[in-house]
Amino acid sequence: MTRTDGGFAGKVLRVDLSTGKTSTQDTREKYGAVLGGTGLGYQVLWEEVPPGTGPFDLGNKLIFATGVLAGTSVPCNGRTAITTIFPSCWPKALVGSGHMGGQFAAKLKYAGYDAVIVEGRAERPVWLFIRDGRVELRDASRLWGSGIHRATLEISQEMGADCCVAAIGQAGEKLAPLATVVNSLSHSAGGVGGVMGAKNLKAIGVQGSGGLRIAGDKEQWERLIKFHLSILGANNQHVVPSFPTPQSEYYNPGSRWVGQPGKRWGAADPPVEITGSIHDMNRISYRTNSAAFFLGEQAWKHTVRGNGCTACPIRCHTTLKVPAMATKYGTREIAQGTCIALNFGQFFFPTLPGGPKGQAALEACMLGMDMADDMGIWSNYGQIQRDFIKLAKDGVFKAKLGSAEYASIPWDKWRAGDPAFLQDLIPRIGERRGELGLVLSEGSGGPFGHWGISEETWEADHGTLYWKMGHPKHHANEDDGQCGVIINTQYNRDAQCHSHTNFVRNGLPLAEQKRLAGELWGSPDSVDSPGHYTRMNKHKAQRARWALVRKELHDCLGVCNWMGPWVASPLKERGYRGDNSLESRLYSLATGHTLDREGLDRVGMRVFTLHRALTMRDMGVLDMRAKHDLVPRWVYEDSSGAQPFTPGTIRMDRDDMALAMEMFYETMGWDKATGAPTGETYDRLGLAEVGKGMAARQLVPETRHEP
Amino acid sequence: MSPEKKARLTEAAAQVVLQASREGRLTTQEDVLEALAAGGSFHQTEGQADADDIRQTPTEEAAAAALAGVLAGHPGIASFQGLSGETLYHAPDLLSRTFARILDRKDSPLLLMAEEIRTNSRDYPRPVPVELFEAPPFDLAPEEIGHVLQAMATDPDYQDISFTTAPTGAVYLFSTLHLERGYAAFLALRAESLSANP
Amino acid sequence: MKPGKHPELIRLAASAAGMDATLSRRGFLMLSACAVTSLTALGLCEALGAGAPLVILDNAQGMILADPSRCVGCQRCELACTEFNDGRAQPSLSRIKISRAMNFGLDGPTGGPAMQGTWGNGLVVQSVCRQCPHPVPCATACPENAIQADPKTGARVVDAKRCVGCRLCQRACPWDMITFDEDRQKASKCFLCNGNPKCVEACPSGALRFVPWRDITREGRAGGATLSALPAAKAKACVDCHVPSGRKPTRR
Repeated sequence: MTRTDGGFAGKVLRVDLSTGKTSTQDTREKYGAVLGGTGLGYQVLWEEVPPGTGPFDLGNKLIFATGVLAGTSVPCNGRTAITTIFPSCWPKALVGSGHMGGQFAAKLKYAGYDAVIVEGRAERPVWLFIRDGRVELRDASRLWGSGIHRATLEISQEMGADCCVAAIGQAGEKLAPLATVVNSLSHSAGGVGGVMGAKNLKAIGVQGSGGLRIAGDKEQWERLIKFHLSILGANNQHVVPSFPTPQSEYYNPGSRWVGQPGKRWGAADPPVEITGSIHDMNRISYRTNSAAFFLGEQAWKHTVRGNGCTACPIRCHTTLKVPAMATKYGTREIAQGTCIALNFGQFFFPTLPGGPKGQAALEACMLGMDMADDMGIWSNYGQIQRDFIKLAKDGVFKAKLGSAEYASIPWDKWRAGDPAFLQDLIPRIGERRGELGLVLSEGSGGPFGHWGISEETWEADHGTLYWKMGHPKHHANEDDGQCGVIINTQYNRDAQCHSHTNFVRNGLPLAEQKRLAGELWGSPDSVDSPGHYTRMNKHKAQRARWALVRKELHDCLGVCNWMGPWVASPLKERGYRGDNSLESRLYSLATGHTLDREGLDRVGMRVFTLHRALTMRDMGVLDMRAKHDLVPRWVYEDSSGAQPFTPGTIRMDRDDMALAMEMFYETMGWDKATGAPTGETYDRLGLAEVGKGMAARQLVPETRHEP
Repeated sequence: MSPEKKARLTEAAAQVVLQASREGRLTTQEDVLEALAAGGSFHQTEGQADADDIRQTPTEEAAAAALAGVLAGHPGIASFQGLSGETLYHAPDLLSRTFARILDRKDSPLLLMAEEIRTNSRDYPRPVPVELFEAPPFDLAPEEIGHVLQAMATDPDYQDISFTTAPTGAVYLFSTLHLERGYAAFLALRAESLSANP
Repeated sequence: MKPGKHPELIRLAASAAGMDATLSRRGFLMLSACAVTSLTALGLCEALGAGAPLVILDNAQGMILADPSRCVGCQRCELACTEFNDGRAQPSLSRIKISRAMNFGLDGPTGGPAMQGTWGNGLVVQSVCRQCPHPVPCATACPENAIQADPKTGARVVDAKRCVGCRLCQRACPWDMITFDEDRQKASKCFLCNGNPKCVEACPSGALRFVPWRDITREGRAGGATLSALPAAKAKACVDCHVPSGRKPTRR
């Protein structure tokens, strides 16, 4: 590694669990072209994991990779991508990544590693000890069968209180496709826990005293970091508060910026009042309260504080204290989470007394957070809960579970909206107990595969929010018209892309959004009002490309796509502009290796295209348009009969979406008919070897793309 | 008035407006003059030279005459005609235009609600949940809100103000001048379901 | 100046250190036995002669106060400390310390209801240099007079040019607040960033404040083993190992 490569830890650690041998590679030498994160994961899979490898096969690999900016003071970093052949991808498992925040990424880098590649399978349960240069496989037999809380405690007793542990719970041990890897209490990577379990790897404990060099001038770096802080909004880069305030021209009741002066962290001891300027740099952490956003005003009195990833001031996880949990359920009073994981418990109930912001919802969420993140269960972005409700209501459980098992489930509690129901249900799923536990923990592919339910029935039911390949939509047309649909076609699991939705939900009035959009993507017409969509145009295709490429880039840099990109800001004096070149400025100064925005985005494009190639190779399919980039029929329907492009519907038009996909393929340098990257595009992106490999498999389209 | 006097007056007057804005208050010209007088910024008679020539302060009458122009010229100060007809001043960087107008209408719940509903429907665009008006800075009691809505229903000037009820039972208010009913209903449902779409 | 210090000097020095009221006979003897620190305002240094051991008597003017009930465990303070001062992101070298207590509190991974930190009750207890009053353990332990009081802030600062890397200061701090940079073989500690602490500036929840100094050395728990009185022979043995890191020990 050359002296100018600041930011990187420098080494990739390889651990062969079959032989117990470990080795290292130079990060930049071997993986410099793909930077890190998902890029590194995709390259390993391309080079080392042949098509047809199953997720739990010996030949599958699990690549924990963070990025160059992780572990620094760049706001909103701390992300680790875990790339593998993804178990819940149905019917055929393909490349996918889970993502987790917390402290793992930073600690791994301080230990000297940008990534850990886990190969093979241990004969007996082991855990991986990493302390700086010292790497060992230690016996995990006493931990096997324990939840993540206990595993973390015991490993920390061995390693030291400042270590970070990424562990699986019972779900991963039992190879559930819907199993997570969890670090730092509530930071979970979806879908990949079972791969760890299949390798008999219980946990990775990492501890490091090293550091990362910032190549650039430290005063310049400090100024850039402070600039980044100054353009931050609240969670999901919402740049407008949810309340009218003298300090802002705009407000948006739907904003995640809920920290209004006058509110307080009620369960802090003594409570912490929110005071002062909402733009104060020493008050950024008070802007966001995810629990209050999802569970309503009642959450404030239970809020201990915010929590989250290394170096992120946003603290999108909320630490909640609810004394009733101990008395009513015998569980911990304190739990922590955000977003879908925070809601894990309440989403199983079609109704709850008091509604989604009442006491029962709060208690259900506390139970869900605690149990799901201890047993290591993934929600498949809320799909497991929707599947559960549908299977119950449609009578499928009754038909398929066998009378003894069905009778053993306390359905009365479920119907009554009693959170205690979860104390029966969640362990079934986590331990894969019974037919219900086994099937549901597979994801939507479970009922499809085991119970003969057709995927079409899921696609036809608007309530399932099912998209394709066993996973749901994730910010599709309900948020962002054609851009959202395009984005949701591209991965082998739910898209996990927030670049687009962070912008359209930022809270600015439409005129301001359109003005910014014009600057960013060439035309104000690249953005519509939600549910008032206009026909496809090439600027929307450019925005979809930007969203995907930038998300992939974030996943390679170790920064958070739930916050970035930072193209809008709360600052009136900047015209509410953020900085579309922020990532490249940070990258250049940290590494000493200058890349402008286009240069860095090209790396993101390279990585995203590699994902495309990997998917095509492992599917054995050239016609991605027909076989992979699928859109469920509900996208083209509206139950009240509203027509596309009228205000008040998210219904899209088939011809318009066909044009959208074509425009998107064109802007990507992919063949319009098939959506397959052309040979010329592979070459242009520095993927010539990949292009050759694809051509050898007849997976490069004959027609050449004209740029 | 000499340029020096004018400069001092401008600065002093601006400070009054800025301070009031910091404290969340709008300022009238009268407010400014009162504050300046209380601060000893005026002389009793024009033209009476001081022993200390540096104290170039105007008379109150001269200041009153010049004030509007002086404040209008200040880049950090904005003004608008309030409900009362008076010109109101504030520093937009400390007290936003949006908030200033809310403050101006605080004593007129009907105008307060109507303008907010119309602005939201026009600019974002979106309907607003009725609870918005119970929270600060509107601070209207539910009964007050009910009276306002009733009054609007029969007042020809407010026929555009309408409401839509989401399936959750939540009531959202919008203006038909700017939002179609169907779209308002869609946006209300969307707002209600944001927390179910993490 | 003859040995046996001028009583007036000692009284002046004691007064400057705020010790008037507490200056006992023992303290008087202690002061008279050693040199007075660089009380430049009193212009005493030159009077006492070069080569005298340095003893800090002045208090610091300011200190960093940390409020655990506001700490959100983001570690931005640790990163600001090392990145903005040293150009490296290295929390293990941070002069304010969060990582040690972030997960489980200062008592570590005990489990049980009293546990703090993210895995316990959520409370993150920060560790901050107390800028100790006299006797300053780290400065006192340093054989090279490398830890001195900054003239502007009174912060106890490691002069890297004088530091020989013996680590005695690290052993002396009752709160384990000295960092030791293995790459550079130098000790370092909180120097209050010349009066504008970067950690305080960086904290996004206002959990850190820069306030007038007061003595908090009797508050909170000390961590780690410390030595108080040593038999002379043992003390000699200590310096056999705690040698400057570039040189071999001169005695065996």
